[in-house]
Amino acid sequence: MLAGTRDLDALARSAGKLASFDAPALTLPGVELLQVTYELGGGAPESFFPPALHPTLPVLAVLALWRADAGPLGRFALAQLRLSCRSGVRPRQLLVASFADGELARAALNERFGFGARRARIRLDRFYDRVEGGVDVDGASALDVTARGPLPLAPGDVQFFSSMHAAETAKGLRLLQVDTEVHVTRAERAEPRLIHFAADAFGIPGATLAYPVAAFVALCDVTLPRLRFACRPDVPASAGTERIS
Amino acid sequence: MRFGIFYELSVPRPFAPGVERAVYENALAQVRLADELGFDTVWAVEHHFLEEYSHCSAPELFLTACAMQTKQIRVGHGAVVCVPAMNHPVRIAERAAVLDILSGGRLELGTARSSTWSELGGFEIDPDTTKQTWDETIRALPRMWTQERFSWQGTSFSVPERAILPKPVQQPHPPLWVTVTSPGTELDAAERGIGCLGVAAASFKEQERRTAEYRRRIANCTPIGALNSQVATLNFLYCHEDANEAARTGLGMLGLFGQENAQLLFTREAYPTRAYGSLANLAPAPVRREGSPGDASGVPEGMAIGDPERIVRAIKEWESIGVDGVNFLLNALEVIPQEKVLASLRLFAREVMPRFRKQGGP
Repeated sequence: MLAGTRDLDALARSAGKLASFDAPALTLPGVELLQVTYELGGGAPESFFPPALHPTLPVLAVLALWRADAGPLGRFALAQLRLSCRSGVRPRQLLVASFADGELARAALNERFGFGARRARIRLDRFYDRVEGGVDVDGASALDVTARGPLPLAPGDVQFFSSMHAAETAKGLRLLQVDTEVHVTRAERAEPRLIHFAADAFGIPGATLAYPVAAFVALCDVTLPRLRFACRPDVPASAGTERIS
Repeated sequence: MRFGIFYELSVPRPFAPGVERAVYENALAQVRLADELGFDTVWAVEHHFLEEYSHCSAPELFLTACAMQTKQIRVGHGAVVCVPAMNHPVRIAERAAVLDILSGGRLELGTARSSTWSELGGFEIDPDTTKQTWDETIRALPRMWTQERFSWQGTSFSVPERAILPKPVQQPHPPLWVTVTSPGTELDAAERGIGCLGVAAASFKEQERRTAEYRRRIANCTPIGALNSQVATLNFLYCHEDANEAARTGLGMLGLFGQENAQLLFTREAYPTRAYGSLANLAPAPVRREGSPGDASGVPEGMAIGDPERIVRAIKEWESIGVDGVNFLLNALEVIPQEKVLASLRLFAREVMPRFRKQGGP
């Protein structure tokens, strides 16, 4: 079984900073979501992950753009890139980059969850026959993507998986597991079309979005619960997982 | 009760020269021994691109080698993927007929539609269509084998009138099966009059319920060809006189298989669809009789891992809920040395198999 080989110093440089393990849960009603999935190329699958995790073969690159209009953090958008993997035998996604476009929200997400979200302008626009999404960082495009021809799915036809991301914590560098709860009220599948992707901006220099898999758009209620598990990045998850009391 | 051996042909890293050949040669030696010992069937999967988990992408060739080196044991495609982008239905019928001829009428043909994104994506197959293409293919196969000339106008494939050659030895054709991973596929099998080839074990209670429902439905089915009403389940085998040694070695195999299986990228994880209703785990799940405290050895109940008496008890349980056959995985990533695998087969055949055989016959 392949295990991650990513350099931990490089992982630490891209890590967020968690203020406290005691942060409360965050609930966001009526969130619009565009999720685009590609197979990842441009490097050995294991090179994208720390030793705690195992890559899926192929690795999926999951780009998620969330737009929240209501909730305690006001109106904001969040863009994330996650990579499919396993923690032991459990399906997980390693969160490698986060961006947010509202200062209050960005600060709160970083403080509560240690996402290390960077400032960006995020677009999520619905048209009759497509949904367009984009991320601009420092005035330059990092992502430009379209999901064409949305067709209805049952809400239960879309799947979500817990994510893990690197953050500096009081215990040192850890992978923090976020068991995001998503209650989908509407879902549509669409055909992904990538116009531009800047791998550097998303923290995976040299990687490519090599092969389109699927896209979906959804309307959902999202809860980011309190953190329950952290994991040392340098040893297999079976040995390095810690329960957060 | 029928006993089979079942091959994924998993290969441990690193993939150094000779490793795959050693796995194949070990498997063939096991098949020769199983034939001598009286096992009923050798099954081989069809998988593509599944590193470590299964390097068995051309099972019809492996099974041909098995047939050529044995006398009695039946050879089972377990299963051929019935999606034209992977296997055109005519080619399935042709290859199956040739294998049936070469084996002297010993072929069992399992059918499937594939469950991982690694495989479906690798062949650019739309997951929404696979159930339909499977259904169309299995309905066409008996006609290809039994009609002098065959034609088909379908959704996933069409064939102008042609003679599909050769014809199989078994009359009217080899037994048909479908692999069952997701709940509900047993009903698909019953409605078509084909056998249930379990490749993921449910709990005893769930298997009992599924088997009963299968039996009820198949009694009134319209068979797509010759009726096959057998139910087989998948298991792991490690038999040793010392129960502790059996548990230690067998659990090592079980754990490693579980890890391999967990690395697979199932379709539903990648692609939002209603065509794959569950994550369709390929691994046999631990089974436990409801209310039971479990086995002190740590071996899940129902698993054929232990000393002969424990394995007899486990198989009696499966027999009591209406299962006709048990197919065994013998190893995972070659973690059990070949001589121990062969010894386990011999001990099983000597101490366990006779307890399930009628006097004077199989």
